[in-house]
Amino acid sequence: MTYKTHSGLRSLLAVSAIAFATVVPAKVQAETSYNLALLSDFSGPYADIMPVLASGRETVFNWWNETRGKELGVTLNFKNYETRYDAAQVASLWPGIKSELNPIAVVGLGGPDVAALSERLPEDKIPMFMSTAAYGFAWKPDSWIFNPRPTYSHESAGFLSWLRKQRGGDEPIKVAILASEASPAYVDMAKGLELYAEQNPDDIDIVEVIYTEVQPTDLTTQMRRVARSGAEALVIQTNTSIVVAAKRGLQANGANVPIMMSSHNGLPASGGALGGLEQLEGDYEAYGMAIAADEDSPARQFYNTLTSDYGLKAPWNVVTAMGISQGLFVATVIEHAIQENGAEGLTGEAVRKALFSKPITTEETNGFLPTLTFTPDAPFPLEGLKVNIGTVRNGKIVIEATSVDIPVVQKW
Amino acid sequence: MVYFVNDIITGALIGLLYALVAMGFVVIYRASKVFNFAQGELVIIGGFIVWFTTLQAGLSLWLSIPLSLLLAGFVGYLIERIFLTKLIGESVFSMVMVTVGLLILLRGFVLLLFGPAVRPFPVIFPLKPLFLGDMLIPLNLLIGGIITIVAAAGLSWFFNRTRPGLRMTAVAEDHVVASSMGISVKSSIAFAWVLGAILSTVGAMIFLSGKSLTFLASDIGFAALPVALFAGLESIGGLILAGVIIGIVQSLTTNYLDPVIGGSLGSVVPYIIMLAILLIRPTGLFGWRTIERV
Repeated sequence: MTYKTHSGLRSLLAVSAIAFATVVPAKVQAETSYNLALLSDFSGPYADIMPVLASGRETVFNWWNETRGKELGVTLNFKNYETRYDAAQVASLWPGIKSELNPIAVVGLGGPDVAALSERLPEDKIPMFMSTAAYGFAWKPDSWIFNPRPTYSHESAGFLSWLRKQRGGDEPIKVAILASEASPAYVDMAKGLELYAEQNPDDIDIVEVIYTEVQPTDLTTQMRRVARSGAEALVIQTNTSIVVAAKRGLQANGANVPIMMSSHNGLPASGGALGGLEQLEGDYEAYGMAIAADEDSPARQFYNTLTSDYGLKAPWNVVTAMGISQGLFVATVIEHAIQENGAEGLTGEAVRKALFSKPITTEETNGFLPTLTFTPDAPFPLEGLKVNIGTVRNGKIVIEATSVDIPVVQKW
Repeated sequence: MVYFVNDIITGALIGLLYALVAMGFVVIYRASKVFNFAQGELVIIGGFIVWFTTLQAGLSLWLSIPLSLLLAGFVGYLIERIFLTKLIGESVFSMVMVTVGLLILLRGFVLLLFGPAVRPFPVIFPLKPLFLGDMLIPLNLLIGGIITIVAAAGLSWFFNRTRPGLRMTAVAEDHVVASSMGISVKSSIAFAWVLGAILSTVGAMIFLSGKSLTFLASDIGFAALPVALFAGLESIGGLILAGVIIGIVQSLTTNYLDPVIGGSLGSVVPYIIMLAILLIRPTGLFGWRTIERV
């Protein structure tokens, strides 16, 4: 081999190296990554549902990275932080989360996250996205915390208006509420519905409001009061243990007052704790999100994709649906922000701005959520609110009604 | 009027359930002068043992109940052997701090072993209430109340009339003095923990029968605390009266005051009574008054 040949080879290698060096940074640039902080409760009051909810939202982020993220050149990294559903724990963790992750968004769980971070997030300019319904105490303009669903009171008002129509007649529907003072969120759920009933006496008549512990000793006498009052529905949006104790109390009294539950204490969780879904025959769950029933739906098909192609192990139920819908909500808002600002240099502020810029369509969330149009006036969409209703028939969860209009509920 | 009487009866029965759980506090305190902060956790350990032997292992109630009580007693014995036996002769404060640690450890242990899921608890007592005319009495609470009264009578007799019971009382007075008199301090304290764990399991059966079981059920331990302090930590018979008073006051508050004020004063009122009695009579209604001659 001559010197000239050596020289030619060197030139070739140099050109290859330059070409490689120019290609590789381009590839690195295409894989811009952003961090998400996931607030979780694996050892507190919602520890029973957390593993399922967590796997739902995490699998969505994995799916997004593999599909939409790849096209956009963005990867979403995420890390769970254990909060024990405790506002003090969230508050103490937050400075560490910020410095460790510098997240562009927080994926929240419930009331304690809202209580701990509602004043801090506007300063830090990081938005938080929830999976639950919203709270009246957080219903303020210019929020940095957003719920894909309206308040629990909106959801119960929507359900009760529907139930009244089903019953027929002009009389208001008689309603009992079973709540707990263990959490401000539980009190908020009751207060909102009470206010709605006050302002709409022709629609709802609240006949009993009962507060109890989160693990009640016995509710037989309280349920006797409910039965005596002629209640046509019992609203319980707190937890599974209260649903179980109330159901036992109603059974002991030989009373059959239909119970309305929410998503976090819904039919599968409460039925499981009672020993079988057949115990909840004729009871309801109602929320502004897809019902995890056996029927085929876009949401069910997307769930099937996640289980078959992305390793989702969680069963098809309302908690999994909550996790998936939250993941889709967050990922879609970030996608909108990338479309508006480009993949580079995305900030929490840009993500929040993107939330208001255009609606999140129901197609984008595969039917898990209705079309959501956010404004700076409230932490949840104020228009086009809908609720879906599921019930137990012949021991199975079935969809009773979809896209039921939610009436106007005033701020409280 | 019927409803008012009914609310009083139900309140008294719930108070007796608190008294049964509080009996666990008192039994351990009488034998060791240790206030067991992990009493609620013993209730859930007992609850999970019952759940496991019935719904998991599929044993009949007649077999699973005695087996559960036996296993619960063994757990109580193990706890004493592992964590408390080394502290005999040490300050009471260090033993109390161990029970605070136990509270956290047992809760974590339950989460680790059984997970956080809400589980159905077997129906041990009939779910149908007893109707006396217009009055309705929850049968599980009625049977629980009878068990509590029988247990209180039996334990009172044991502590006041039998040699092992009197020996345990001597141990509670002073470990060193009791030991120098030839009393086995270790056995007495171990026996107290066995009894405490068994009483907690009986409490779990009454409290949870036909309902749901999670680690949050340990809150019953805190609900029983005002009853134990109101009665005085040494009096088993006093627990019955204290339980009934607190249960009735709580029931009347829940049924008649709460609807007016729109809150849950009923869950707070036992603690208000507890604080009031501690201010007026720190030893509780029937607690021993120690006279020290200097």
